Amino acid sequence: MTTTASRPGVFAYEPGEFWDEMFVSAGEVRPYYASLAQALSTLSHAEVERRQRAADLSFQARGITFAVNQGPEGVEKIMPFDLVPRIITAEEWRKIERGLEQRVRALNLFLDDIYHDGAILRQNVVPPELVLGSRGYCREVRGIEVPLGVYTHIVGSDLVRDESGEFYVLEDNLRTPSGVSYVVENRRVLKRVWSHIFHGYDVRPVEGYAQDLLDVLRAVAPQEAEDEPNVVLLTPGVYNSAYFEHAFLAKGMGIQMVEGSDLFVDDGMVFMRTTRGPQRVHVIYRRVDDDFLDPLAFRNDSMLGIPGLLASYRMGRVTLANAPGAGVADDKAIYAYVPSFITYYLGEEPILPTIRTYLPSEPDELQFILEHIGELVVKSVNESGGYGMLVGPHSTRAEQDKFRELVRANPRGYIAQPTLALSRHPCWVDDHFEGRHVDLRPFVLFGREVKVTPGGLTRVAMRPGSLVVNSSQGGGGKDTWVLADAST
Amino acid sequence: MALLCRVAENMFWLNRYVERAIAIIRVVDVTAHLELDSGDPDAQGVDFWIPLLGPSLETGPTNGSADAPAPLPHDVRYYLAFDPDNPSSLVSCVRHARSAAREVRDSISSEMWEQVNTSFLMLGEPDRVRDLEEDLHAFYRRVRDSLLLIQGLADATVAHDEAWQFLSLGKYLERADNVSRLLRQHCHLLTSGAVASSGDDTVRWLAVLRSAGSAEAYSRYYSLRVEPTRVLEFLLLNPLFPQSVRYSLGAAWEALKSISGATMAGSGPPVRSLGMLRARLEHTSVDEVVEFGLEEFLASVQDDIAHVSERLTRAFFRYAPQPGRDRSIARAAQIMAAQQQ
Repeated sequence: MTTTASRPGVFAYEPGEFWDEMFVSAGEVRPYYASLAQALSTLSHAEVERRQRAADLSFQARGITFAVNQGPEGVEKIMPFDLVPRIITAEEWRKIERGLEQRVRALNLFLDDIYHDGAILRQNVVPPELVLGSRGYCREVRGIEVPLGVYTHIVGSDLVRDESGEFYVLEDNLRTPSGVSYVVENRRVLKRVWSHIFHGYDVRPVEGYAQDLLDVLRAVAPQEAEDEPNVVLLTPGVYNSAYFEHAFLAKGMGIQMVEGSDLFVDDGMVFMRTTRGPQRVHVIYRRVDDDFLDPLAFRNDSMLGIPGLLASYRMGRVTLANAPGAGVADDKAIYAYVPSFITYYLGEEPILPTIRTYLPSEPDELQFILEHIGELVVKSVNESGGYGMLVGPHSTRAEQDKFRELVRANPRGYIAQPTLALSRHPCWVDDHFEGRHVDLRPFVLFGREVKVTPGGLTRVAMRPGSLVVNSSQGGGGKDTWVLADAST
Repeated sequence: MALLCRVAENMFWLNRYVERAIAIIRVVDVTAHLELDSGDPDAQGVDFWIPLLGPSLETGPTNGSADAPAPLPHDVRYYLAFDPDNPSSLVSCVRHARSAAREVRDSISSEMWEQVNTSFLMLGEPDRVRDLEEDLHAFYRRVRDSLLLIQGLADATVAHDEAWQFLSLGKYLERADNVSRLLRQHCHLLTSGAVASSGDDTVRWLAVLRSAGSAEAYSRYYSLRVEPTRVLEFLLLNPLFPQSVRYSLGAAWEALKSISGATMAGSGPPVRSLGMLRARLEHTSVDEVVEFGLEEFLASVQDDIAHVSERLTRAFFRYAPQPGRDRSIARAAQIMAAQQQ
């Protein structure tokens, strides 16, 4: 105790054998973290505590929460927020930005292809049965011309860093990615409780997200809307874990947030029920999954959806963002082929690498997975949020046996990847720093052009040693600073 | 922007619940004082509290059992203010208000939402509330101010458009309902023989005024001692004081007029019933009310308010019923949880 007490807490930190976002080695911070480290080292334990409390209170009072157990008895929790921001340099960001743009363009060309003539399938660049048999593939939308050829207006791709510091794409979220409200709110809260740590940094602002999103949504309105498209946000309702975000975005864009029961379809057009009678709707930013959109076309027991919506969509009289059927491209098995899409459609080399992915549907790879399951991460192709996965090195023999069975019984339903040594970032724990694994979810908007919001959600696995960063599994968040050019 | 029916309905109920919560605090706080004034809190205290239970006595703190011992003042107070199982307790009203506010979070200002949420969090820790027994008065005051601030922010930070008119309509309709209920609870004082006020009755009528937040305004208006018929006149028929039934119905009427001026043809029935009720209060005198029978008069006012509310629902909020919707949404939410990105 006496030895650490004589040194400022910030420097008594052991980066370990992982890539550490802040430290090169024990006691030596990366140059762009120097000013931050300086600010941190002058703070007393009590002062950090006080700010942490202020931040927690701020999230609580403003109701920035997510629901843990869905349903009327659900509990609302705040996402644990770590005060120490994560910094990304302008140079690192440029690569991420270019890499994501390339990826999103290729994914949209892929979607357009497989819902039209399917050239990529005929040329066997990707096995057709993998695509057509994917749960995310939606026959109902074949042949539809979507405005601007855009299927994924909002993408939240998850990036991770390995021991060498290289960024990899871990997965793409192309259906209803969430978390962007935390990108904005974490920044607002940090500014409020600890404004002076921004001193000396030129951090790119993230406030503009909602307005950029509105531009995208207006740009993809059906022609007949002319200059006055009515854009709405469709939420599953207050029980949904991301409800706060839905309200946050609707408010930021100044558009109406609606539930399924607020809308109806008449004569091929979508209307909302207002106190002044029906009002036409042109664009729906939907935060409801494909399956629940239209009980006539998909799950017939869905009360969240709007009967007849898909028919109206097929007629081009309403735009849905993201487009139904986009989920096929974030299938975790199809992920393995995205680099070949980039080469096939754009004739370019992928800028951001992907993780080596083993597909049990290939006999050799199945054999490999079964033999090495203790070293691999096994994931269900259709689930997200950290559900339905096995982290080999952290699992018991019984869990491994269970997953061997699962994979053997349903080879198309799983993939396996090497267990990554995710990078770590110092987090404030009690009265000192401890390393915690982090990932990064930037948000990409695609309308007339591709725009990557300069920032992102840094998710933190709060339990020591854990690699699972999902908020549903107790993950927390950090403010994420992308530095402007001048400050590096 | 046109107003969604669901949003209109939640706006209306949001402010009704806030107003109801404020009324509960006033009554509970004033009754606690009344009990202290009676001199012997243990023996008779509960007499002051029992009338407050009103029709809810059946399922109140005694659970409707005839053999159960009479509830203690403390139990009644808990039941009215903090019992989460009582659907019209203070905590339940604030919880309902917050649920409604969450539904319309994108339609109200952030300041207003945060204030609703703060009020909810203030009441959220029942253990802490029980510790407060010592200084309950200060606590009630804080909560009341917090709730009043919601209404203040609603007026100051939300555009006075159609959605806001529904907030206003909810507030005033609820207030008219609360004040007429309060008078009804005490009208036996007026009808039990002598109208001339004995000392005890004066204290009680003062308490009635306080429960409606109106004691000072009454004194200022009449500058004479508390007289039951004048209290009645003031709270029921005063045209200028914002806590009176007549004033509240007038304000509700204004809100409804500006809503229906711009909306669908189906808005006729609520406009008609509220208009008639308001006219009745405007063109009657307190003597006529007493002659008619105070109890009956107040009962008919409350019935009419309930009718207005029903007709509002049919005209503006629900064109068609949607049974079982909440359950299905909760189930779908569970299925979707697994697919959350």
